[in-house]
Amino acid sequence: MSTVEIISSFGDDAQCANAIEELRAAKVGDFNTFAPFPSHRIEHAIGKKKSPVRWMVLGGGISGILTGLAITIGTTYEWRLNAGGKPLLSWPPFIVICFELMVLLGGISGFLGVLMMSGIPAIEIAPGYDGRFGEDRFGLVVRCEETEAERVESMLKESGAEEVVREGI
Amino acid sequence: MAAAPKVPVEQSYRDIDRSVLRVMEPAGMAYWAWVGFCFTLVGIAACFWLRQIYSGLGVTGLRQPVMWAIYITNFVFWVGIAHSGTLISAVLFLFRTKWRTAVYRAAETMTIFAVATAGLYPLIHLGRVWFFYWLLPYPNQRYLQPDFRSPLVWDAFAVSTYLTISALFWTMGLIPDIANAREAATGWRKKFYTVLAMGWQGTDRQWRHYSMAYLLMAGLATPLVLSVHSVVSWDFAMAINPGWHSTIFAPYFVAGAIFSGVAMVITLLIPMRRMLGIEDLLTEWHFDNLAKVVLLTSLVVSYAYITEAFMTWYAGDPIEQMTFHMRYFGPWGWMYWVMVLCNCVIPLLLFSPRIRVNMRALWVITIFVNIGMWFERFVIIAGSLTANFEPSQWASYRPSITEIMITIGSFAWFLGLFSLFSRFLPIISMTELKEGIVWLRKARKKDRVAA
Repeated sequence: MSTVEIISSFGDDAQCANAIEELRAAKVGDFNTFAPFPSHRIEHAIGKKKSPVRWMVLGGGISGILTGLAITIGTTYEWRLNAGGKPLLSWPPFIVICFELMVLLGGISGFLGVLMMSGIPAIEIAPGYDGRFGEDRFGLVVRCEETEAERVESMLKESGAEEVVREGI
Repeated sequence: MAAAPKVPVEQSYRDIDRSVLRVMEPAGMAYWAWVGFCFTLVGIAACFWLRQIYSGLGVTGLRQPVMWAIYITNFVFWVGIAHSGTLISAVLFLFRTKWRTAVYRAAETMTIFAVATAGLYPLIHLGRVWFFYWLLPYPNQRYLQPDFRSPLVWDAFAVSTYLTISALFWTMGLIPDIANAREAATGWRKKFYTVLAMGWQGTDRQWRHYSMAYLLMAGLATPLVLSVHSVVSWDFAMAINPGWHSTIFAPYFVAGAIFSGVAMVITLLIPMRRMLGIEDLLTEWHFDNLAKVVLLTSLVVSYAYITEAFMTWYAGDPIEQMTFHMRYFGPWGWMYWVMVLCNCVIPLLLFSPRIRVNMRALWVITIFVNIGMWFERFVIIAGSLTANFEPSQWASYRPSITEIMITIGSFAWFLGLFSLFSRFLPIISMTELKEGIVWLRKARKKDRVAA
């Protein structure tokens, strides 16, 4: 039995989200979507968990604070400079360094996290991608068994798909 | 309930793409002549800097006790200009402000180039620029380390963090738009955008991680708006110099930064929208809102001037009072009053809704604001140094041709980079405009129902 890909395009994210909900309810195929902007409707319809990038940002931020503490305290003890009789460990100014490094490492981990998790830089183009999906169309690509293809196609059309194309793999 | 703003919502997503991508088509001779002019000025300024590096800081007008003058004024001015970009791109994003979508990319771009310009000044100000890395902690043979109690070291960390985070935030927002440009481009441009887009395809997986990271980056960039200019203000406030040693400096500088920055955004956008033919995307609604931010921050800055004068009088320190007397009525008193006129009086015109949407009037007002804010920094920095504790040490300052040319060169550097960007990368975020249109359509529908 062979697998096919059904590529459909929608003019509206609400229709695309409806189609996803119906596919999920009918438990057919696995799918991928393309959208010109992040659509909350589509995200809710897919129903995946929140992105783990947030934990990466948290980890980066905490490591930034620890790095800040390490370099300020460490270098103060390495170069014991008495400035105006103030205590050697005058911690309030160190907060500034810890804060800046928290933001710096948190931001860098967020950026690298999104690249890593989204699989970019990508050399290969995902199956079914079309330039119009970056412009004004929402694309839904369903991969399913050939026997189910007709059912999926009719579900997509009923949800308002403007175009439905079947491709063999 | 507020009525839906007067912006064209009948545009389709494709119209938005066309309007933005049209700007990125090959430019004419006039554009290249302007870019060439800017970079020629940069080249001249670079020659003056080389001469200064070769001969030493004696070629500037810096003499004891005025050792911080135009260079540091320019540094604070450009860091301040940068702040509005982050305010518009990050803070207003968290507040879900609708009018930010069309202006944020240009404002953020301005931030990047303004910080890149500001970052040059501490280097230019160094007598021995090749030792700039002494500000950073690094393992060395003699166990010498920077003093983390010094605000100059905080500044090195704050400004470099600001530049890095702004650049990452900006790059992230650009990726989906560059992918759009990739689809429409041909020839070498297609290859160029294909590399920059890094294979972005807008899949649900990509958008899911992107949205989360964008939100968190905005959350991280938001405190930077407050922290970076506070740290810059502490370069002065931590010193015991009269005229500098003040606890109101941090909020005072942050408000001034947003004031001057938003004014600069308006100054750049008004000619840009006309030259690039994007009046349908950057409408009166956007400028009306930007002008309101200028008006609000102008009032905050005016309040800070009054508080500063009041505290000096109320505290009763005779040396501080003398410094302020010199600031208001001394040889450079005219600069103070120019500053008051430009920053406190002229922006009051923005109370009029008609002036807020009159592009010519708005452009002229924002230029006055920029002049006023430059003078503000100069009056605080150099002005406070001329009249110090000991009258025997009082001295004046006159900028040399080196300082003037480098200042002009820095403006040309900023404008040249901004002009290059506006033609090669999307100056308006297509992704966010498309998201915004959905909201605008709903608002318009509500208005129709109410009518």
